Formats: sequence, structure tokens, C-alpha cells
Amino acid sequence: MKFKIFIFFLIGLFIYIIDIGFNSDQNSKDIFISDQEITSLISAWKSQVGRSPTDDEISRIITNLIEEEILYREALLLGLDKEDRIIKRRLAQKISFLKQESLVDKPSNNDLIGFYNANKDKYYIQPTFTFKHYFFSAESNSGERSQAAYKKILNNDQDIKSDPFFLGKSFSESSLDEISGNFGRQFSLNFNEVILNKWLGPFKSSFGDHIIFIMDARAGYYPPIAQVLGKVEVDLVAYEKEEAVSNYINKIKSEYKVIINPNLKFDE
Amino acid sequence: MKYNKLLKRILLIIPVVYLLTLALIYFDVYDKRPVLSLFKKTQSDSALQLVDFSVDKPISTKIIAAPNKDRNAYFGDVHVHTKYSFDAYVFGVTASPDDAYNYAKGKGIQHPLGYEMKLQEPLDFYSVTDHGFYMGMIQAYADTTTDISKNDFAKPFHNLNRPENLTVDSAGERSAIFSSVLGQAILNPQPWWHPSVLKAWFTRNTQLALKSFDYTVHKSAWADVARSANEHNDPGTFTTFIGYEFTTSTDTEGGNLHRNVIFNSSIAPIRPWTRIDSLNPEDLWTWQDGLRDKGIDTISMPHNSNGSNGQMFEMETFKGGAINKAYAEKRMRNEPVVEITQVKGTSETHPLLSPDDEWADFEIMDKRVGSRPPTYSRPSGGYVREAYLNGLTLEFSNQGNPYKFGLIGSSDTHTGAGSYDESNYWSKVGLLDGSSENRGSAPLSEGNKERMDNYMKAFNQPVSTVKFDEGEYANTGFTQWGASGLAVAWAEENTRDSIFAAFKRKETFATTGTRIAVRFFAGYDLASIDLSSDALISQAYDKGVTMGADLLNDNNQAPDFLVWAQKDKNGAPLQRVQIIKGWIDSNSGTPHEKVYDAACSDGLSVDPLTNRCPDNGAKVSITDCSISQGVGSSELKTIWNDPEFDPSIKSFYYVRVLENPTCRWSTWDAIKAGHKPREDLHETLQERAWSSPIWYIPAISDITVMPLGGTISLGDS
Repeated sequence: MKFKIFIFFLIGLFIYIIDIGFNSDQNSKDIFISDQEITSLISAWKSQVGRSPTDDEISRIITNLIEEEILYREALLLGLDKEDRIIKRRLAQKISFLKQESLVDKPSNNDLIGFYNANKDKYYIQPTFTFKHYFFSAESNSGERSQAAYKKILNNDQDIKSDPFFLGKSFSESSLDEISGNFGRQFSLNFNEVILNKWLGPFKSSFGDHIIFIMDARAGYYPPIAQVLGKVEVDLVAYEKEEAVSNYINKIKSEYKVIINPNLKFDE
Repeated sequence: MKYNKLLKRILLIIPVVYLLTLALIYFDVYDKRPVLSLFKKTQSDSALQLVDFSVDKPISTKIIAAPNKDRNAYFGDVHVHTKYSFDAYVFGVTASPDDAYNYAKGKGIQHPLGYEMKLQEPLDFYSVTDHGFYMGMIQAYADTTTDISKNDFAKPFHNLNRPENLTVDSAGERSAIFSSVLGQAILNPQPWWHPSVLKAWFTRNTQLALKSFDYTVHKSAWADVARSANEHNDPGTFTTFIGYEFTTSTDTEGGNLHRNVIFNSSIAPIRPWTRIDSLNPEDLWTWQDGLRDKGIDTISMPHNSNGSNGQMFEMETFKGGAINKAYAEKRMRNEPVVEITQVKGTSETHPLLSPDDEWADFEIMDKRVGSRPPTYSRPSGGYVREAYLNGLTLEFSNQGNPYKFGLIGSSDTHTGAGSYDESNYWSKVGLLDGSSENRGSAPLSEGNKERMDNYMKAFNQPVSTVKFDEGEYANTGFTQWGASGLAVAWAEENTRDSIFAAFKRKETFATTGTRIAVRFFAGYDLASIDLSSDALISQAYDKGVTMGADLLNDNNQAPDFLVWAQKDKNGAPLQRVQIIKGWIDSNSGTPHEKVYDAACSDGLSVDPLTNRCPDNGAKVSITDCSISQGVGSSELKTIWNDPEFDPSIKSFYYVRVLENPTCRWSTWDAIKAGHKPREDLHETLQERAWSSPIWYIPAISDITVMPLGGTISLGDS
């Protein structure tokens, strides 16, 4: 009796070995479906339909799951995942999210101060200028008239015939951006070096010539961090997220060798 | 046994009571007899429930410029969609309201096709106005982690805007999805006995009864829109408005009756009032009146009247009743300004309506908005100049004037970023028109033809391509769209209150995206003002009324009109300033209109016989879009008098400022693609600005709607 069992065992072992030998990749054809996977599908089904699935329906859900898995594996075997941009991007996106999400800590005060100091220019409060001007419209010979007027001013002659400017005569606390918005970029460059309480010009704008008189210039400054703390924090978190991904890429980039055809010609 | 009987009875009573309640409600809804209106009192109006969306911000130490009593021109856009709009999300847009506001402040943001969109110069104000209807829902359908995305109707949207799906190829499919959204597919209500139907009724919130609607998602999208607006509002520098679009239309013809609503506060209702609440704009105004009673001021601004099949400015009400004074007052109380120009064409006038206006054929879009297949929109009733005239006629027949509105422009972009520049144009609907091939300005490449066929099938358009010398082009209809426009407010300072007040008193003008600025005054002694004086504007304010206001008869004197226009410092020089007059004759109320040139560039003068400036000779090169140098004016300023003024005739006057011709976006596109421009499209256009009108009122008894702006007193008469 015991011997017979032993014989069967040997035959079984023999078949098993042969099987391994002939179908070495057979193991990858096993599909394991975990209890968890099934219960989560069933609960999704429930929340959609509003009742538990019947036995029939459960078996259909599982069949679908199996068939999907089979098609997926066959596609992998055929190499359909290779060179597919959508799959590439999706995977790249997944790993970027993963790298971004690993950072959830609230930045410390030191981090904030450090970030603020490193990016001070982002929070710089621009200088402002309070000035008035004589405007000479390009519509009537502004070049000559403004030159003549400037000479008059130098001779302390107060009787200047200028034109009204569309946006008015006096500007108070205007930043360089505002000046550039009202007069044009070129004109705003004249405020880079400021002489107070003196008629300057004539300077060209998009609308004609101007002789300006700057009454007050308030220097630009870096606000104390307390004033911009909220903004610094938002910026820092965003920065760290981007940083995490690019650090990760840089770290592993060195392990890759990139080969590109240097002679590639683009079609125009 | 007895106990059992009781239980049975109770069990029986519950459904009977439920059914009876439902029956009562249905009576109340469909039958307006007062017997049952008692029941109505149990309703609460969810759309009038207010929420404070203000954001805690550190107190700014920034110095704010003092208000300018002569007012500054602030340039902005109050018609911007982001990913929360049901259609924008389908178009591949992932820009959030925060992205949109950052764009307006001058930062570059990404187009769905991957290129950068950036303004040459920041804007002064901006309002994100996503469609209130289904706000935020499509995004929730697309996000497979939400409960609602697990429904069948949500399936087509799954993962729609994952980066890998953002391709030009997907345009056809996207368009098909868009049509299905507009269709009834997702608008199915729950069955009549469903408890959510009851809840919908009790809170006057119809959308709760819809199968595909998730109120939490909807409210949180709206809260994010409001939060973002408050977050980015920066008094003195940059103004935002909480806003949304009321996307309604007429039932069978699909006439576009869309309006944008903006709020002058950081407090807003818990949800926007939408087309699911009612298709009738009068109900919107009732809601706005209700909010005003609660201290929340709003205005609504109609747009794309050109695509309304003549129904935006009808001679009758939405339901076909006669317009009366109460209607006119209600409409004007809530809709002080109208969007005259935007990406989907310009609605000033149409060549068929103004055959004597040589500039009427400008950026005409002659299809009904969103029609499938694209369907002709009847011009009459769809353009603002005719509406002004019809308003006078309605007033003549003692019905009140519901069309006494001011003018603004805006973009209606669906990418978060307005496209105002002809030379750097990305149109409106993201993936669908983000490339020159798709919008029909460059010939289709081989592979793209088939895609275009599929796309057009989805659009239900029989002819998918058109052939010209340079090749085969997409016949998408996007060729009628354009790089427009901006809203400009004359306000004391760049704050919400100040700009909102300018909108209400109609002291606004519209541009086609250019930053032309224009002043316009009328009065009886303006000719005495020295035009070369610096006090010119403050004197004009003292002695006259400005755009948007009424000028009352003063002893039958003839008025003076003062116009002053300044060119866009980065744009083409000005060619001419025109005054457009409309009036009705005093016997029959018959409308008339006339276009007068008031000031010409290069020192040229107006021919008094033709009322036209001579040609200033400005040219455009179609090969590289360069324009003639040294031709045109940097500013134009004049006092104008109406040569045919009659003090007894009711009339209106508005200004149109024209730049020298420049290349249209389609020409720029063609040049960039290395082709000649399509011969059936305008190669050039004249960028322009329109002021709100000034209305001349012959006698005080003629005023049926009190103007919100200033008036000149009648003195003793």
C-alpha cells in the first residue's frame, strides 16, 4: 500500500518536472485575484446600483476582471506597451505625483526665512515717483516745441505753452510699471536715474515729448518677511514640489546614457 | 392582532401622506391658484442664501494713489471661463481661476496645447465667469475617484484632461462630448416620487432633482471661484469680481440669451442662479432684485446678441408679451451694460441693418451660438445700434426703454486667458481651435484631413472642408471668431466699488482688444473750454455730461460734443473719430441713423457734404504685416456739433474710434504657416473702440427710466 503511494508520488514528480521543463514560463499565466480586489469591486457596484449584486452579477464582475487581466497580459506579451506615448506619460505622471506627494510637511520658520532671503527679488516693492510734466503732442511738432520750451525753462521763463495730456498733468506714487503702462516702456527708462526738483527732458513717449519734474522718489525696498509670510509659504511649497521632481530626475539621470542622432535633419 | 392592524394602518398612512404631499406640491407648481399658496411659505430660497467668501489677508501697507476725480481709464475683461465651465473642461482646459487671475496680472500660463499665453501688458481688472449651469460638474465626472463619476453619463468624461489626452486629435471626440452635454443626456430628473424631488421643491433648487447633479461638488466649485476672486482682489492695483455666466437661450430656436453676472462684494449667494432654475432672464432679474434687497448689488451683462437669432433685443418679452415700463425699468436696473464685442464676433451693427455705414461689415459672426449644425442667426434684434433705436421707438409708444444700456467688450475665452492680440492669437475653445489648421486659417496637412472629417461629423456640419488656391481648409466656423475685446471703465480708482459704480452709471467703453482710450462729453457750453488747457477734463465734467448719461433739453440750445481719443501706445495710430447718431422722428417714432466723421488724422478735415475724412493713405503689407509709418495720429481731439440738430427730437450719440488698418489674426496665422491668407476672409481690419452713448432728452416728461449717471438740470423750464 505504502509503496503504491510512493509510485504515484514518483510519477507525479516526474510529470511535474517535465511540465517545468517544457513550460518554464507557465507560472506567469497564473492570475491571482485577491479578496480585497473583489470586495472593492462589489462595493463600487453597490454604491452605483444601490443594492448588492446577485451571484450571477458577482460572477460577471469577476469574469470581466479576469478577462481584462488576460487582455492586459497578452498586450504586454506582444509588447504593446512599448513606445506608447500615452502609457509613458501616464507612468511619468504617476511617479511625479508620487515624488511630489511625499512632501507634506509644513515648512519650518527657518525654511521660510531661507526661501525669502534666496528669493528676495520676488517680494521687492518697486520704487515710486511723484512727478508732473509738460506734454507736447506728437500731433503738432512736439520735438521742436519741447526743445524750445526746455530752453525757456532754463531761462526761468514760466510761460510754457504745452498740450494737455490724456491722463493728466500730475502723477503721484507711480511705480515704474505704471509709468511704463501710461507712457510706454522707453519713457519709463528715464526714471532709472532720478534728479529731484529739477525740470528734465525732453523725453519721448509713444504720444509725443515730455519735460518732467520729479517732486518725490520713494526708493524700492524689501518688505520685512512678516508682511509677506503667507505668500512666501505658498511659494515655498510650490517650489519644493517642483524641486522634488527635478531632484529625483537629476539623481537618476546620471545612470542613463542618452543617445541621439547628431545628424538628424528637420523637415521644414 | 389589534396591534398588527394598527401597524398596518400606520404603514399604509405613510405612503398616502407622501403621495398627498407630492400631489399638493404638483398643484402648487403647475397651478398658481392662491388656495394652495399657503404651502409655498414652507419653501426656502436656496439661491438667496448668502455666504461670506472673504479671505483673511495680511493688511497691506502699500501706498494707494489718491482717487482721481477726473477718473482714470481701467482696462479689463469680465468674461473669462476656466476648467469649472462644463464646456471649457471638455475643450481640454485645466486652468483654474487662480491661473486666470495670474494671467491677467501679467504672468504666463499654459494653453491646453502646451504653448505659453502671456499678456504684453497686465490688465487692471478681471472677472472669472464660469457657466453657472453644471459648474464644476464635468471635472467631477472626469475624476474617476469621485462617486458621481461612476455613473454611466459620466463615462465619456473619464480622464478627459489627463496630460496624455490633451491632443489636437481628440478635438472631434471632444466636440461630440460637448454636444451630448448640451443635449438632454445628463439632464434627466429623478422619478417624480424620489425624495430629492421633494427636497428640490422645498429649497427651490431644481437641480437637486437631476440624476447627474452633485450639489456638494457644485457648491465647492462656486466657492473656489469666489475664494479666488477675493484672494486676487488688490485694491488700488488689481480688481476682481466674483462672477458667473447665466447661460440661457430660447427654447426651440436656440437663440443665445447668455449673460454674465458680477457681484460688487465678497459676499455672494451659496450657489449661482442658472438656466436650470429658469430660462427666462426676467427671473434672473427678480433674483438680482432679491439679492439687492439683502444688500448685495449685482449687474448682468448680455453678450453675443449677434448669435441670438434676433432675440436678445426683441420688441416683446421672453414669453411673447408686450414690453411695458415695469419691464424696461427692471431690465435697466439689472443690465446697465452690454458686451458689444468678444471672440465670437462683434454686435455693433450688421451690413443689412446699417447699409450706409461703410464700417458695418466688421467681425460679423452670423451663426446662432452653439447651434448644431451651425445655423443662421437673424440679424434684426441682435445688434446694439438697432436696439438703441428700437428702445426709442418703444419709448415713443409709451412702453418704456429697455435698451438704454452702456457698452463694454470682453473676451469670453475658455482657456482662462483672453486672446486680444491679432499677432498672437489662440482663439477661445482650447484644443478645438488652438492651432491655425483647426481654426481654418492655414491649409490642412494630409493627416489632419481625416481628423477634420470626423470632427465635422461630430459638429453635425455637412461640409467639413473648403478648397482654395493654397489648399484645403477646415470649415470650422472659427474663421468668424476674432481677437477681441476689452471692457474699459472710467473710475476714480482701481477698486471694486469704483469700477462697479462706473459700470452702473455706464461710464464705460469697449475696445476690440486694443488699448485705445476715449473721452466723450456733451453739454451746452463745452465750446468755451480751451482744448489746450490742462483743466480740460475737469471743466468738461463741470459743464457737461459724459458717456452713459442723459443730456436734457436746455432752452432748445444746440449741444456741443467733446471727443478726445488716445491711441494704444503699442498699437497702430488712430485714423478717425466718428460720432454715430440715432434718432426717431417725432411723428411716428420711425428710427433713423447716421455716421459722422468728427476728427481726422494727419491734420485732414471732414468733408461737410459727405461727413467723411479723406483717405489718409495708411497701408498694410500682406506679406509681413508691416504698416505705413508716419501716417495716422497719436491722439484726436475735437468739439463737434450736430449739423442736423433738432431740439424736439429724441436721439442718442456714441463715439467710434478707428485705428489705421492692421493684419487680421487669420493673415498672421497664414504668414506664420508660410501661406497666403485665405481669399474669402478679410485680410486686414481696423481695431476700434465704442463709447457708451449719451441720450438727448427733449423734455423731462420723456424720461421713463431714470438714468443712473449724471444729468444736466433743466434750469427753470
